[in-house]
Amino acid sequence: MLSLIKRYRDLILVAGLLLFPFFTFVTRGPSGRKPMLVDRAVLSVSSYVQGAFGWVLDGTVSVWRGYVALRGVEAENRGLREENQALKMKAQEQAGLIVENERLCALSTYADKHPGLKVVARVVGVDPSSTRHFVRINRGESDGVTAGMAVVTPDGVAGYVERATSGWADVILITDATHRMGVRTERTRARAIAAGTGGKTDLELRLDYALRKDDYQEGDVIVTSGTDGVYPADLQVGTISRVEARGSAMFRAGSIHPAVDPTKLEEVLVLPKVVVPAPASAKDSQVTPGTPGTAGAGVP
Amino acid sequence: MKMLATCALALLLLSLESVIVQKLGWSVTRIDVTVAIIAFLALRANTGEGAVSSFVTGYLLDLLSGRYTGLYTFLAVFLFILGKLVASLVDVRSGFTFALYAMGGDVVHVLLSVLLSWLTAKEAVGAGAILSSLPLQVLLTGVAAWALYPLLRRLDRGDNRPQLGTLR
Repeated sequence: MLSLIKRYRDLILVAGLLLFPFFTFVTRGPSGRKPMLVDRAVLSVSSYVQGAFGWVLDGTVSVWRGYVALRGVEAENRGLREENQALKMKAQEQAGLIVENERLCALSTYADKHPGLKVVARVVGVDPSSTRHFVRINRGESDGVTAGMAVVTPDGVAGYVERATSGWADVILITDATHRMGVRTERTRARAIAAGTGGKTDLELRLDYALRKDDYQEGDVIVTSGTDGVYPADLQVGTISRVEARGSAMFRAGSIHPAVDPTKLEEVLVLPKVVVPAPASAKDSQVTPGTPGTAGAGVP
Repeated sequence: MKMLATCALALLLLSLESVIVQKLGWSVTRIDVTVAIIAFLALRANTGEGAVSSFVTGYLLDLLSGRYTGLYTFLAVFLFILGKLVASLVDVRSGFTFALYAMGGDVVHVLLSVLLSWLTAKEAVGAGAILSSLPLQVLLTGVAAWALYPLLRRLDRGDNRPQLGTLR
């Protein structure tokens, strides 16, 4: 018997190793059996091994994600930053185009309301000095722009062309210290002179030669009188921001807040020269045509 | 000693596979590293040692599969016997041929496990899902076998290779 077992030892071993799990499977089915002590011990060991592998894998993945995988991030980041800058520039350009379109629409509307030859010009430069108030526009004699022409915006009067060449022209602004223009109040039609003060921060105009007997009030709208040979009548100049009370002097002093902010000019309209009809008699004439815009030129 | 080393390797590989599967989130497809070990045992180990090693390997697979049913233990020993039968007909001496040998064993292993599971509980077996992922699983097992071949050869260089023939 012993020799028989010894002879077929492997066969018996294999049969046992095959049959034991097979009967377990057949009798217990897919639900299996409850874990025994050996199972628990093996599972405990395997859980340590799994934990170690998990730790190594997590560490490897962490190192990969934290360092190796970030190799290209800097270049990608730089590219995204450049793209972001380009998009921002584009957005700013778009916004600028929208605002410019609105301004041009306003200019177009203004031009339609005031018939006659007009030249649309763009401000290309401002004065580099601290004493003058002028801007340079990109239209000149080749476009029909000549010295003495009025320059306006839809908001009101901006200035007049002091000199022009073939491609550009310099415009003296109404806030320049040498600039004078005949004005009147829209409400009472009382005349006066609006003079530039040349201030760099205070851009108010001075109200000169306002007769004591006339009615001027703060808030009154000031328009061009059309009597100075430069500006057509009834272009808005600004509003009275301050006026002296009636005193004993012949004239009252005051200030005008200009309708046009000369620091923000971008597109302007150049108007044709005003043709002042020859006075029928010296008594009727109230304009002394002189060099337009110079100090003392024109009397209201 | 070889038997212990084989069992330890099986435990390591199964633990590694379970961690990788858990990390990568593979739900169906897996790599049958135990089949590669059993295939190697069928080629190199003698019957008694190989049967016990296969039993332990199958037992570990059964345990780490969540519930001890005995199915994979039985299949491991069965596959070992079958492998020894086939080994008498083929000559496996390179990593590539070993991979093909293990892939064949994996096909049998999967089909038998599906069949036996289906016989005991028809509704509990997702046979369709298992069989649809069979080609990929077999391929991955082949790759694993090819990669493991040098390591397994360190365990048994085949100097005292058993004579061909089943249960000899």
